[in-house]
Amino acid sequence: MSKKSKGLLIDITKCIGCLQCSAACKTGHKQPGDPEPTLSATAFTAVEPRGDKFVRRMCLHCEDPSCASACPVGAIIKTAQGAVRYDGAKCIGCRYCMIACPFSVPKYEWNKLAPYVTKCDMCAERVLAGNQALCSEACPTGATLFGSREDLLMEAHKRIVENPGVYVPRIYGEKEVGGTSVLYISDVPFEKLGFIESPLNQPMPTLSAAALGEVPTVVTIGGSLLAGLYWITQRRREVAAAESAEREPKERS
Amino acid sequence: MSQIMKKITLWRAISAVIFAAGIWATYLRFFAGWRAATNLSDGQPWGIWVGVATLCGVGLSAGGFAIAGAVYLLGMERYHPISRAAVMIAFLGYLSVIAGYAWELGLPWNFWHPLVMWNRKSVLFEVVWCIILYTTVLALEFSPALLEKIPHQRIRELALEWHHRILIALVLVGVLLSSLHQSFLGGLFIIFKGKEYPLWYSSYQTTLFYLSAIPAGFAMVIIALYLSMRSLGVKIDTGILKDFSRVITPLLVIFALFRFVDLGRQGATHYLFLARPETFYFWLEIALLIVAPVVLFNLKKVRETPIGLYWASAVMVMGFITHRVNVSITALERATGTHYVPKWSEMAVTIMLVAAAVIAFRLAVLHLKIFPRVERVEPRTRWLAEPASAD
Repeated sequence: MSKKSKGLLIDITKCIGCLQCSAACKTGHKQPGDPEPTLSATAFTAVEPRGDKFVRRMCLHCEDPSCASACPVGAIIKTAQGAVRYDGAKCIGCRYCMIACPFSVPKYEWNKLAPYVTKCDMCAERVLAGNQALCSEACPTGATLFGSREDLLMEAHKRIVENPGVYVPRIYGEKEVGGTSVLYISDVPFEKLGFIESPLNQPMPTLSAAALGEVPTVVTIGGSLLAGLYWITQRRREVAAAESAEREPKERS
Repeated sequence: MSQIMKKITLWRAISAVIFAAGIWATYLRFFAGWRAATNLSDGQPWGIWVGVATLCGVGLSAGGFAIAGAVYLLGMERYHPISRAAVMIAFLGYLSVIAGYAWELGLPWNFWHPLVMWNRKSVLFEVVWCIILYTTVLALEFSPALLEKIPHQRIRELALEWHHRILIALVLVGVLLSSLHQSFLGGLFIIFKGKEYPLWYSSYQTTLFYLSAIPAGFAMVIIALYLSMRSLGVKIDTGILKDFSRVITPLLVIFALFRFVDLGRQGATHYLFLARPETFYFWLEIALLIVAPVVLFNLKKVRETPIGLYWASAVMVMGFITHRVNVSITALERATGTHYVPKWSEMAVTIMLVAAAVIAFRLAVLHLKIFPRVERVEPRTRWLAEPASAD
C-alpha cells in the first residue's frame, strides 16, 4: 500500500459532538442548511449521538468498494489518493450502488427531476492539491485525523496499545469488507454504536466476481453442448431421411 | 352480436382507463418528480419498476429461448407451430422491460452509456449487454413474420432465405445469452450479503433465478396460448399446453429442492418459522410458486382442460412475482429499516407496459402469421372457436 493512499482516523473517545466537521463539510460542498442528524442528499457526513458517545457517519471509502464494482458504467472509482469518487456525468441513475453499499452510504436527490447520487468524496480536489479534508481540518479535538492510511493504522494501533483498558482492541475498517480508508477506534464495542458486522472480511466485489467468472465456462461448455445436441438432431434426421429413401425404391419394385 | 359488442367495449374501456392512469403517472414522474410519482427512498431505491417490471418481465419471457431451443436445437418438431408465438411473447416482454427503463432510470437520457462506458466488474453491466443483445436476437428470430409481408417477391424470398441460414446460429446464441442474463439477474443480489434477509440471500442466486425462470416462462406461454385460443380464435393442439404443464412440475421440484438445500447450506433454516412478516411472505411464495402449481398441474381435472391449465399457470405466475418481489424488496426492508409499498402511479406505469404488450400481441396475432397452422380467422367466427369458454 502506497503512502499516497489517504484516509481518516476517527477516534470516538475524542468526539464531543460539536458538529464543526458537518458545518465545514456543508460549507465546503456548498450544501444548504444546518448540520443534519443523518446522512442525506445534502449531508455527506452526520454526527449521530449514541448514549453519551458521538458517532460520525460518512462514506468509509472502501479499499475495493462494492459501489464501484456494482456501477454498470464505471461512474464510481477508487482513486489512488484513497477517495471513492462519483462522476455524475457518467451516471445513468440505476441506483444499484445505493443498495450494493454494505453501509448504505450513497443517497439520492429524490427531490430533483435530474437526480444524482451523492456521497462524501473525501475532499478529493483538496487532497490532490496537497491539503487535508475539510472535516479533519475543522475538528477542534483531533477526533478526526487525516493522513496516509498506513500512518493512521499505525497511530490507531499505538493508541490502543498505549492506553490499556481504554479502547476496544479493534480498528473498524482495518479488515472489514477487505479494509476501508476511513478507520474508527472506540472505547465502546462497535456493535453498540450501530456499526454493522462486516458481512465478509474480504472485499464485497469478490462475491460478484465469483459469479461473473462463470461466464466463459457457460459460454464455452454451454455453446459446445448446444451445438452437439443440434448435430445429433441433424444426424438423426439425415439417417431417417436416408433410411426412408432406401426403403422407397424397394417398396416400388 | 350485441353481446360481442358489449365484450369489446368493456375491454376498450378498461384499456382506456389503464392508459389514462399510465399517462397521468408518467406526467407525475417526469414533471412532478420522484416523490410525487413513487414511494422510493434512500432505504428502498428499487421498487416494483425493478422488482416486477424488470425481474418478472425478463423471467416470464424465458419461454422464448426454452421453446426456440427445444424446437430448433433439439428437433422437437411438435412444438414448431407455437415457436413463433413463444418468440414473440419473449420479444414483447423484453421490449416492455426496456421501455420501462424510461421511467426507472434517474437519468434516462443517459441510457446509452453502458454501450460505451464499460465496467466489466459489474453484474448489471453484463445484464444490460445480454438484454440488449438478446432483444436483437429475438427481433431477428421474429423477423420472418414481418419479412413475409414484403410485397416484392424476390426481395422477400432472398430475405427469408438468409434468415433461414442464420436461424440455428441465432437460436443457439439466444439460448446462451438468455442463460447468462436470466442467471445474472439473480447475480445482482449476491453483493447484497448482510443486507438481504437470510431467507432470500444466496450466493447461488444466479442458479435459483435461472431455475425459476424456465418454468415461469412455460406458465406464461400457456397463459398466452390459452387466451389466444379463447379470444383470438387461434386453434392449436391443446396437447401442447398439456405437455408444457408436464415439464413444469419436475422443473419446479428441482427448483424447490435447490432452494431448500441452499437455505440449509447458508444456515438459514432457523428463520423458516420465526414470528416475523418475512416468514409469512416466504411461505406465501412457496405456496403460490411451488406447492399450488405442483398440486394443480397434477390434478386430472386441471390437466385435462385448457382453462384448468390456464388458472394453474396464473397461480404460478403470481407465485413467481411474489418470489422476485421478495428477493428485491421484502428481503431488504429489515436491514434498511424501511417499509415500501408502491404508489398507485408506480403500479399504473407497470400495468400500462403490460397492457401495451398485450395489445401488441393481439394485433400481431390478428394481422401477422404468428400461428402458422391457422389461416386468418374471420371476425364473425372469432367467438365461436372455443366452445369450452362459454361463460
